Amino acid sequence: MNNDLLTQYSGGVITYREALYQAMHYSLSKNPNVIIMGQGVDDHKGLFGTTLGLATEFGNDRVFDTPLAEEGVTGIAIGASLNGLYPILTHMRTDFVLVSMNQIINLLAKYKYMFGGLFEVPMFIRMVIGRSWGQGAQHSQSLQSLFAHIPGLTVIMPSSSQSILECYPYSYFRHRGPVLAIEHRLMYDIKFKVENIPVDANKSPFTSYKVRSGKDVSIVATSIMVLEAERAAHHLASEAGIECEIIDLNCISHPDKFMILKSVEKTGKLLIADTSWQAYGVCAEVCRIVCEHSVTALKSPVVTVGMQPSTCPTAKTLEDMFYPNLTELTDSIARLVTGNKDHGIPLPDEHSMADVYKKFKGPF
Amino acid sequence: MNIALYKKLFLLRKAEEKIREHYHEDEMKTPMHMSMGEEAIAVGVCHALSVDDQIFGTYRSHAIYLAKTGDTDNFFAEMYGKDTSFQRGKAGSMHLCAPESGFMGTSAIVGGIIPVAVGAAFANKQKGNGKYTAVFFGDGAIDEGVFWESINLASIMKLPILFVCEDNNLAVHTHKSLRQGYKSITDIVSQFEFNVLSSETTDVELIHKLACNAKELIDSTQKPCFLNLKYYRYLEHVGIGEDFDRGYRSKDEFLKWYAVDPIALQRKKLIEKGCQEEEIQKIETDIDNQINNSIKLAKSAPFADECILYENVFA
Repeated sequence: MNNDLLTQYSGGVITYREALYQAMHYSLSKNPNVIIMGQGVDDHKGLFGTTLGLATEFGNDRVFDTPLAEEGVTGIAIGASLNGLYPILTHMRTDFVLVSMNQIINLLAKYKYMFGGLFEVPMFIRMVIGRSWGQGAQHSQSLQSLFAHIPGLTVIMPSSSQSILECYPYSYFRHRGPVLAIEHRLMYDIKFKVENIPVDANKSPFTSYKVRSGKDVSIVATSIMVLEAERAAHHLASEAGIECEIIDLNCISHPDKFMILKSVEKTGKLLIADTSWQAYGVCAEVCRIVCEHSVTALKSPVVTVGMQPSTCPTAKTLEDMFYPNLTELTDSIARLVTGNKDHGIPLPDEHSMADVYKKFKGPF
Repeated sequence: MNIALYKKLFLLRKAEEKIREHYHEDEMKTPMHMSMGEEAIAVGVCHALSVDDQIFGTYRSHAIYLAKTGDTDNFFAEMYGKDTSFQRGKAGSMHLCAPESGFMGTSAIVGGIIPVAVGAAFANKQKGNGKYTAVFFGDGAIDEGVFWESINLASIMKLPILFVCEDNNLAVHTHKSLRQGYKSITDIVSQFEFNVLSSETTDVELIHKLACNAKELIDSTQKPCFLNLKYYRYLEHVGIGEDFDRGYRSKDEFLKWYAVDPIALQRKKLIEKGCQEEEIQKIETDIDNQINNSIKLAKSAPFADECILYENVFA
């Protein structure tokens, strides 16, 4: 089955939010087994606009609100999937998924395997990374590493509308297992250009993308850090002629290892920029991949960028220190490339990512 | 029907006895949570369900597996961990299933499977296929939060589901008087939009009747049903031995329940109804032979190849 949705938007521009909404709408209209369930999916806010009006259009037996019972509701999604429905379960914050970890890790991830392959549990869980304006400790986490650590779970972190339009329909129509999608709140209003390239409907989009080619440094990034890396790369190209190669990890559970290794073998320098903490996370895993296969290709130690190793604070001054900002990211890349912490390259004066994304709308 | 029920009861009991007999050979390398004592519940409820209806269970599922499928070949193949099992030896005793017979899965995390069963019932209602779902769990599971979430959700969604509580008063070794801050689970569940039935009988026919009644109530009231049934766990929590000398329960208790053992009860009923002793013995011998044959097949079957380790991890 062709991805009509992607074809429809190819060559155009669409916001992240609109791409999500269209993906939801498309799934409901093309697959009669799709149901969307989650806290507030049918209310006047419609999960930040991504499910607005869908209950009215498709019926509230297909798009419905759920009580605050995350484990129970996730179990229901699993059981419904066993019997042929395709549930899209939503969470307003990644943090709430923690309440349902028993179902996700002990059942969803393992159901097909532990019963000897006799069952399939195709379903989709959407969750949003909260960011800024005092989201604080329990409304800001980015838990891709916890999920990707578990065999059986496919974990994606779309960093663009393109990725949404490729990966979401593929999940609903072609993938016969569970997919966890971690979206970033600050990207919702950003417009993205959608590539006008024919996508092979048979090829799985659960992989990584090369978003920029360069010879001086390999940057592997997730989610909004891909956008940050692109902004840093743009700045460094014009200020210092530095060419960054950027890989959007995209599918955290199934990264394109060959793409990463080939890049590191070319540049010899690696920087990993993730949305979460460095310890035991994406940064650590990418290092493992490189160390196991191409460690001698590295000309310098790896640099990793993520949240500071603390719980997320709420005061803006502290929050801005907690998250990586463009100034620090650009400086880290410049130091890595030049091998000199006093590289003298002018840096962008940006100390709060939140401020930027609230104003900046793209297109990217 | 008395005979049909007896055959099933005897199959369950004999299979468990055979496991006890062979376990020391160390070829069934899987923890065994034995079903001795609960046969009337498994048989009574499953007999009221059609082959299309669905069941979900726990790590203690030998009885419901055998009651729903009548199969021993696949059962023992899986106990022995062999490739001839449909589950290729990846499931073991705790994760039996039989999709062709509607046995849709189990969880070794107490209470974990209950909301999954609710979801299956939800899909059945959505599809209008008329199927019932029965989820089996113990009184230990009632202490889990997700049990209450599931009762609540099944209630507001008005689902065609039977919650079958196999109440043996114990969560592993802890008596319910030390665990539950209320006297009557049926009182509490009655506060939900639910049908509540209960019995302390070990008579399989009475349980069967109750389960049929449960289905009728689900249809006529459009509310789920909670079936509170009692039994006595004859053996230890996990393993094939008895543990009456361990201090947390007494053999006297057991003997009271053994006096109304479900298999013995049904056998007595058959005699009273005019069944000949020879007829019953023939049934018992046939089942014995069936099980022996299954064990023989399982012992000589191969294990799965290494490549099977990596199959079915993702989609």
